[in-house]
Amino acid sequence: MFGAIKIAMVMTVIATAGMGYLYVQKLQSDLETARANVAKMEVAVQISEASIATLQQDAVRSAELNANLQRDLQTAERYGDELRATLQKHNLTALAQRKPGLIENRMQDATNSLWNDLRSITDPNGVQQSEAGTTNSNSN
Amino acid sequence: MGCSSLRPEPQIVTVTNTVKTTVPIVARPKGAQINDVKIYVVNADNYDEFVEKFTNKNGELVYIAISVKDYENLSLNFAELKRYIEQQKQIIVYYEEAVKPQEETQN
Repeated sequence: MFGAIKIAMVMTVIATAGMGYLYVQKLQSDLETARANVAKMEVAVQISEASIATLQQDAVRSAELNANLQRDLQTAERYGDELRATLQKHNLTALAQRKPGLIENRMQDATNSLWNDLRSITDPNGVQQSEAGTTNSNSN
Repeated sequence: MGCSSLRPEPQIVTVTNTVKTTVPIVARPKGAQINDVKIYVVNADNYDEFVEKFTNKNGELVYIAISVKDYENLSLNFAELKRYIEQQKQIIVYYEEAVKPQEETQN
């Protein structure tokens, strides 16, 4: 009777030890997987941070390009502004009455200059920015 | 612990996929072919001189006249067209720069 009990107890101890061993093995396996997951998550975080940095760089670049564009758009207004100011400043009719030869030459020069500007700004191989607005090429 | 501890730890899989759209930059149109224009400023005092000069140059006395005011308007119209072309071109350059790959832009 006692022998059977002893055997049962030994068997129980052995079974418990075996289950414990398997449980520890599983814990170790899970721990390895968890470590691998942490490593992957760290890589994912690094990629996310790099993406954020790229987005920030893109935003800075876009802002810079936009500022350049606004400056260039403003510069393109200069020729018309200067022309309007010159036409308001001078009475072209009176000048044409008094000095037609002089006015004719100035008009011709201004017109030639405008044609050259148009050739330049439409030239596919030309420079991006015309300098026409910076010089006094108006008709007076 | 409990039943959940018997389930295996789920494996995390991270996939990074970067897709960058490449927009080809097309060639610019050919430049404008501009012809020169001769301007005459004529008033009552130099009309005869103009008639002689004009007839010698063109063979006959037929011309299109324009008032000083209309000449001013014509100049302002051309200035507007010039501004429009320049600004349109600058906007195209802006878009070309914006779609360029960053490495190319930095070089």
